[in-house]
Amino acid sequence: MADRSQGSVTLMSDRGRPAPKLSVEHLVKTRRSTSGETVTAVDDVTFEVHQGEFLCLLGPSGCGKTTILNILAGLDEPTSGAALLDGKPIPGPGPDRAVLFQEPALFPWLSVVANVEFALKHVGVAQEERRTRAMSWLENVHLTGNANAQPHELSAGMRQRAVLARALACDPDVLLGDEPFGALDAQARELLQNEVQRVWVESEGRKTFVFVTHNVREAALLADRVLVMTAAPGRLLEEVRIHAPRPRNLDDALVARVVSEIHEVLMGEVSKGGST
Amino acid sequence: MAEEQVPPDPSIQQRLADLTDDERLVLAKVADIVRKIQYGTVVLVIQDGKVVQIEMAEKFRLR
Repeated sequence: MADRSQGSVTLMSDRGRPAPKLSVEHLVKTRRSTSGETVTAVDDVTFEVHQGEFLCLLGPSGCGKTTILNILAGLDEPTSGAALLDGKPIPGPGPDRAVLFQEPALFPWLSVVANVEFALKHVGVAQEERRTRAMSWLENVHLTGNANAQPHELSAGMRQRAVLARALACDPDVLLGDEPFGALDAQARELLQNEVQRVWVESEGRKTFVFVTHNVREAALLADRVLVMTAAPGRLLEEVRIHAPRPRNLDDALVARVVSEIHEVLMGEVSKGGST
Repeated sequence: MAEEQVPPDPSIQQRLADLTDDERLVLAKVADIVRKIQYGTVVLVIQDGKVVQIEMAEKFRLR
């Protein structure tokens, strides 16, 4: 933690641009199937994410987007190629990269506020500060009234809000999301999308967000850059850079146009890959 | 046939000369974008008859 509190040194690349926060270089990931065959999940993927960017990886099911995210999170390793954080190979999971999974991974025996406090303890926040900080984040996600509830007493949307509060309370440099709003109803999803947009805007270029999704609208709503992947084995197909202010709305002309264009590209891939 | 009924446009030069400073600024910004991108979309957001925002999406084919 000492390293992070000192503030990271900005590395400069050869061309004078700050070094990317995250980079993936010729990443290949293969797996052995149950029948013993080698299956390529990710095939030679290269991209960079600069500090302060909001990137969405979009692709049909089984295209390897979750695999890439797991590698960035340090939960998996590349078969070949490299995944780098601040120019160095990712050694494993770390508190500088919070991960939001589709299923909210709360400790069922701890109350909502205790779940957030546990994470704060893990990143070295002093005991007297934990409760205030946890409650402040629970307020941001409208869970003040449920702070003492057990996770099983909450709805799926509320649990995911608690997970978001826990992740953001630790003030991570990087937030990785693996379809974090995929299992939520429309209203809960909108609330969380707005909250994520707000946090990202307020970080003023300090926080880097990488979300994996198969929801084209979500990608167009949230991201600066959308990387569209092919059907398995996953490769990068298209990049869309969106320059539009936030908070965005699905009715915005540009967002609607981007959604329609990406949707068309993606449908072509889904039909090619034969997956849903 | 329909084209013949449209009144002739004033010359391009005249139309450019008639532009207000605000209109020139918008067109200059749009031209900057058009020069910069190969594929994409530009959206002008207009309120009360004025362009209040220029939004853009740029596409790159990666393979």
